[in-house]
Amino acid sequence: MRYIMKLIKALTIVGLLSFLSSCIQKEPLNAECDITEASLPGDVLNRAPLIENDKVIFILKNGVSVTELSPEFTLTPGATIEPPSGTTRNFIVPQKYTVTSEDGKWHKDYTVEAQSGNTLNLQYDFEHVRLYNGYDVFYEVNSNGDETLAWASGNGGFKLTGMGSAANEYLTFQIDNGKSGKCASLVTRSTGGFGALAKKPLAAGNLFIGKFNIATAMSKPLESTQFGTPFNAIPRYLTGYYQYTPGEEYCQADGGKLVPVPDKTDKFNIYAVFFEATPEMEMLDGTNALSPDNENIIAVAEISDADRVPAQHWTKFDIPFVYRQGKNIDLDKLAEGKYSITIVFSSSIDGDYFSGAIGSTLLIDEVALECLSSDDLK
Amino acid sequence: MKIGKYIALITFAASALTAAAQGYTTPGLEWSSRHGVHYEINAGLNIGGAAPLPLPAEIRKINSYNPNLNLMIGATATKWFEPTQKWGISAGIRFETKGMKTDATVKNYGMEIIQDGSRVKGNWTGKVETKYSSTQLCIPILANYRINSRWRVNAGPYIALALNNDFNGRVYDGYLREGDPTGNKVIFENGSEATYDFSDEIKLFQWGMQVGGSWLAFRHLAVNANLTWGLNEIFKSSFKTVTFDLYPIYFNIGFGYAF
Repeated sequence: MRYIMKLIKALTIVGLLSFLSSCIQKEPLNAECDITEASLPGDVLNRAPLIENDKVIFILKNGVSVTELSPEFTLTPGATIEPPSGTTRNFIVPQKYTVTSEDGKWHKDYTVEAQSGNTLNLQYDFEHVRLYNGYDVFYEVNSNGDETLAWASGNGGFKLTGMGSAANEYLTFQIDNGKSGKCASLVTRSTGGFGALAKKPLAAGNLFIGKFNIATAMSKPLESTQFGTPFNAIPRYLTGYYQYTPGEEYCQADGGKLVPVPDKTDKFNIYAVFFEATPEMEMLDGTNALSPDNENIIAVAEISDADRVPAQHWTKFDIPFVYRQGKNIDLDKLAEGKYSITIVFSSSIDGDYFSGAIGSTLLIDEVALECLSSDDLK
Repeated sequence: MKIGKYIALITFAASALTAAAQGYTTPGLEWSSRHGVHYEINAGLNIGGAAPLPLPAEIRKINSYNPNLNLMIGATATKWFEPTQKWGISAGIRFETKGMKTDATVKNYGMEIIQDGSRVKGNWTGKVETKYSSTQLCIPILANYRINSRWRVNAGPYIALALNNDFNGRVYDGYLREGDPTGNKVIFENGSEATYDFSDEIKLFQWGMQVGGSWLAFRHLAVNANLTWGLNEIFKSSFKTVTFDLYPIYFNIGFGYAF
């Protein structure tokens, strides 16, 4: 009897599987329209191209002209790009490309820009934001009003939780009442039902120089914060102003749950890292940005633990870059753009591990990097 | 827990059979028999699943399928019409579970999940694991036709009351395009997954059609087989997350004791 049942069951499973499999329809054409790889002919790149969902940045070696570049792109299979891969264009201003999916139903506009030489300014006043996907993106402009740097944040990851319906419900956004003009506000938030399901119950407000790689936000969150941009000055001090109000209850993440830790107060973090960008490590990430054994790091400016205290009024920070033992700056490499810098702000120091106090708020304004330029040394 | 439920079911079925067998000679049954009314109690296994029909093109592969052990017990009364007793009508009641566990690979499958007021919408490419189990009280009303003394076939509608439902699973090993296929790509790998639970979204009342056959192996023992095909989708109409409609389709095989 049992054997008969087993046989019937086995036969039925085989039957159903083959029935269902035979029903599987022809594979639909691809609906995606991505630039998956980008390159420039010749040895002109200082860093690997930065490819985001709707943006490609080529960071060129010093002295390479941006007026005649012929970028080549690899796309989602079957997709097409306009103007075609290999077209020579002038990248004095960013150029637009349109990628259309194989099924023809979807298309996406990419902004492709080429950066030549050091364009990073040294003062950051957080006066400029643009709304992107519903959240604020801070950017800096030079004296001509041209954009020089877009700050990265975890807002793109927070968007996935569906918890932010207005820009000021995200992790990082602009508010009035800065030290002067407007300022950046970083708030630690609950990630709601989805965050709990994904075992990431909380997210700290963060703002940093680099890029947020949303692709790995779920599976490798520490690696999704990619730090650094080329820098050819010698940093001495990271200065600026902050206010800090810790959230009421510090919680430690235990899977998807937040477990309150009595008598613990949340702390913020502010730091900058100057490092050598090597092909193996062009950018730092959450796993190694402050690691004592990271050979690429040259100097670190990190706010001291004694100064990570609540402040209801604008409070100045002035943090020296401390050079790592045995590390110094090679001026040739500096001139070639082989070094990078990042500045990182977080409203909860343990936010990388989804621990902190919901509501912790860090306000930041009038940040500056005080530097020696390579010219000063000559 | 589950095992306990099955043991309880089997015990109940066995005692019902025994009691019925003992009661065979009662005057009530004799009266019924004279008036062309026959009774049967039956037990069996359900094998099948809740499937979208036809399979949408987004489903690329069924990686695994487990029908689970779904038991059924029930009783049927059939009134055979004079003079030939070729045709009859039957009403039954059965208590059964319908379940399955599947793992499928999908491509660019549009989904929207609302959880605790927050909302995630996008297109998923990757693996989807689904576990479905529903304990139901089912009432079939069937037309019966007797081919000969041993064989008969039947067909008709059924209604079912879904008493206890589970519909949950997870998505893993793949990526979500946020919003639509042009949105941000979010990769789920290395054990990162998103789970879902739509158990509360299953319809309480379901209905469909049933066709089957019965072979009287011995004087009292019948071998039954039938196919039940749900005609309303299992989810409440207000529920939009699963964009294709799922219909419960189950093959039942079992035995009956005919009085």
